[in-house]
Amino acid sequence: MRVSGYRYLIALLLIGWGCPALAASDAPVDQTTIEMNRKANEACYACHSAAGIAKPPKADIDMSKLKDSRLEPTIYNPSDHGVMDCRECHSKTHYTDYPHAEAGKSETVGCTACHAAKVLRLEPQFNASVHAKVQGVKEKFTCFTCHNPHINIVQKRLQDPAKIVAQDNHGCLECHNSSEMFAKFAPEGEKTPGLKKLRPDIDTIHDWLPNAKAHWQSVRCIECHTPEVAENKMLSHEILDKEKSEKKCLSCHSANSTLKARLYRHMVKDEQQKYGFTNSVLLSNSYIIGATRHPLLDSIIIALVIATLLGVLLHGAIRIVMSLRRKKEESQ
Amino acid sequence: MSERVYLLPLWIRLWHWTNALLIITLTITGVSLHFADPKLPLVEFSLAARIHDLAGLALVAAYGFFVIANIVSGNWWQYVPKPPGILDRCMKQARWYLWGIFKGEPHPYPVTLEVNFNAMQALIYWFIMYLMMPTLLITGLIFMFPQFAPDRVFDMDGLLPVAVLHYLTGTVIVLFMIAHMYLGTTGHTVTTMFKTMITGWHEH
Ligand code: HEC
Ligand code: HEC
Ligand code: HEC
Ligand code: HEC
Ligand code: HEC
Ligand code: HEC
Ligand code: HEC
Ligand code: HEM
Repeated sequence: MRVSGYRYLIALLLIGWGCPALAASDAPVDQTTIEMNRKANEACYACHSAAGIAKPPKADIDMSKLKDSRLEPTIYNPSDHGVMDCRECHSKTHYTDYPHAEAGKSETVGCTACHAAKVLRLEPQFNASVHAKVQGVKEKFTCFTCHNPHINIVQKRLQDPAKIVAQDNHGCLECHNSSEMFAKFAPEGEKTPGLKKLRPDIDTIHDWLPNAKAHWQSVRCIECHTPEVAENKMLSHEILDKEKSEKKCLSCHSANSTLKARLYRHMVKDEQQKYGFTNSVLLSNSYIIGATRHPLLDSIIIALVIATLLGVLLHGAIRIVMSLRRKKEESQ
Repeated sequence: MSERVYLLPLWIRLWHWTNALLIITLTITGVSLHFADPKLPLVEFSLAARIHDLAGLALVAAYGFFVIANIVSGNWWQYVPKPPGILDRCMKQARWYLWGIFKGEPHPYPVTLEVNFNAMQALIYWFIMYLMMPTLLITGLIFMFPQFAPDRVFDMDGLLPVAVLHYLTGTVIVLFMIAHMYLGTTGHTVTTMFKTMITGWHEH
């Protein structure tokens, strides 16, 4: 309790004095500022874009270091931070010229500077994650290990569940599906001292999940690897280990699917039982056995089965009665 | 004393009981999947999915065998209702099920080696085996390999029509199966027809 009170004070101080001084916050940005920022960013795109990398403004620049960069106005502008000037996060002074001054690297602003209140809530969860528990891993894990601040779009703005799944799973699979990347973060293996722990294959770990690949396309890792939170709260950042992760199929595959409070949380308020289907917001993206139901069709089918059973029983009963009567008549 | 005729070769009997067993298995697991609910005492979901997948593939194989063996042996001819007077014969058969059977009348179209199925049976079996079964099997296979499903249909997931068709054809086959099992008791005695399907010998 005392720890969090202390944190709270720091946050208040940051919000109270720190941020205006840095002019940093996550308050919505007005349209004129957005246009101004986008104009200013064009100076950076001269090099930091596919076109710039292919044809730099000055001939003798080594662009090879930027080959993995996915920076592009069409990607950056719609992202969460696309309303901002690059130099609100990257130093105001060190990137005006090229070559960039070495000091720029160490002056990149962290998430806390602008998102103090959110970080306050997320940090305890982040610190309880599997990634924060392993020596050698936790030192390297930061907010931008998963969040690419140039690209990511938060769920409620991205809207389309398929895109949300692709974006958020990319964040996890970047390591968990690439041995090269995994090795950069992995601790030393227990059985292989001096060598990095080998990356377990993601499909093998989940071989209890039929058609795992279909699941990676339609649900996120965090659906099962984070504890459930109330609908109006931010998604939990506590990545769970194998004991606590969700293994029950029915948590998704049932009429009362938890996906309504997770991947589809931003859509449930629009639930309209389209064409008579329950959970039709889920159906917009996935047919989910057990969760996608049509109560009317189900009732008709159950009624048909019962009617057939009763019909057959009745027929049989009449046959028995009639044959007994015939036997009686014959014996008389 | 009743007449005996060797009606059903071994392959039909083996196929029939395999088919029956698989369909019952698929029905129980299919219901467990569709009506999955923590409060219903059904087969556990992941077990049901696993069994349903295996039994489904086995049924595809059994059906493939059925079709090929029918072509090779010429047995497929039994499933073709033969004119003239198909409708009349169906009506007569239906009248017997709804009336004659209660009065103890004899079967209107007794089984012979040449004509195993009466016109109504031929029609219904044809509908079930050559229309419903392929639809059920194909939708089941698409369900198993959803990459072959259409991407989107209207503004819904493309798997929806596949799943609904699978559910509906599955239902038709279950309804057929209930009636079929009951009609199996309408032979000479209640058990004669079941015995025929086991031994191959038909008694009049
Ligand atoms: C003339 C081309 C050019 C322009 C213009 C340019 N950069 Fe760069 N920048 C590069 C190259 C090349 C690299 C990679 C090599 C390196 O690190 O020097 C780089 C690296 C970076 C890096 C990562 C390395 C570091 O120092 O942190 C950042 C951040 C960066 N640039 C920001 C910016 C911003 C912000 C702007 C616009 C204000 C900008 N750059 C304009 C060419 C350019
Ligand atoms: C919300 C803050 C933020 C904004 C806005 C931002 N960046 Fe970044 N940028 C970062 C962070 C954080 C890193 C990663 C630093 C690290 O990995 O150590 C980074 C890394 C980079 C890199 C090096 C890695 C790469 O992807 O190539 C470049 C280049 C870069 N930024 C350029 C830009 C440009 C150009 C803009 C504007 C169009 C911009 N940034 C806007 C926070 C931001
Ligand atoms: C210099 C200030 C600044 C920094 C640093 C910064 N952000 Fe942001 N962030 C913003 C602004 C401004 C918005 C847009 C708010 C809006 O449009 O309403 C935003 C939006 C977001 C959003 C979506 C809004 C939401 O509902 O939560 C996320 C997620 C986010 N940032 C994460 C991060 C992460 C992770 C980092 C660290 C890598 C970071 N930000 C660093 C200023 C910043
Ligand atoms: C292990 C990967 C990972 C790390 C590390 C991580 N995040 Fe996230 N974060 C995610 C994912 C995945 C989401 C869900 C994004 C979405 O679709 O809205 C998310 C969502 C968010 C959101 C939006 C939450 C909401 O519900 O509106 C914020 C804000 C955020 N992260 C901030 C942070 C900050 C700050 C840190 C560092 C303390 C951090 N994240 C570290 C993976 C991560
Ligand atoms: C930057 C690389 C990286 C990213 C991104 C990443 N992880 Fe990890 N993850 C690791 C490493 C390294 C370990 C440690 C493995 C170990 O200790 O055996 C790990 C461990 C785990 C574990 C526990 C495994 C174990 O053996 O104890 C889980 C579960 C996990 N990650 C899930 C996720 C999820 C879910 C995401 C996305 C939200 C994610 N990870 C993102 C690198 C990453
Ligand atoms: C359907 C729920 C579900 C989804 C979706 C899911 N996981 Fe898992 N995951 C689990 C469960 C449950 C375990 C523990 C398995 C066990 O007991 O063997 C696990 C195990 C793991 C482990 C190994 C943990 C350990 O300690 O050995 C890693 C790493 C992991 N998952 C990462 C991921 C990543 C990355 C994704 C997204 C691509 C993902 N998971 C998606 C449920 C899920
Ligand atoms: C996190 C939620 C979630 C959990 C937990 C989950 N599933 Fe799924 N499952 C889905 C979604 C969403 C789909 C729809 C995939 C698609 O779009 O086709 C699906 C599809 C399926 C399919 C059909 C795939 C196909 O061939 O079309 C099967 C079978 C399945 N799940 C079995 C299981 C089993 C068994 C478990 C438990 C071991 C399980 N699932 C746990 C979300 C989940
Ligand atoms: C009488 C036979 C069958 C019945 C009654 C039946 C019924 C069902 C039902 C009710 C579902 C749940 C789908 C939903 O919720 O809408 C289902 C799913 C499924 N069925 Fe069938 N089915 C039968 C045969 C088959 C066959 C032959 C195959 C394979 C070729 C198959 C493959 C599947 C698959 C792949 C699923 C998805 C779940 C899973 O992967 O286990 N089914 N079935």
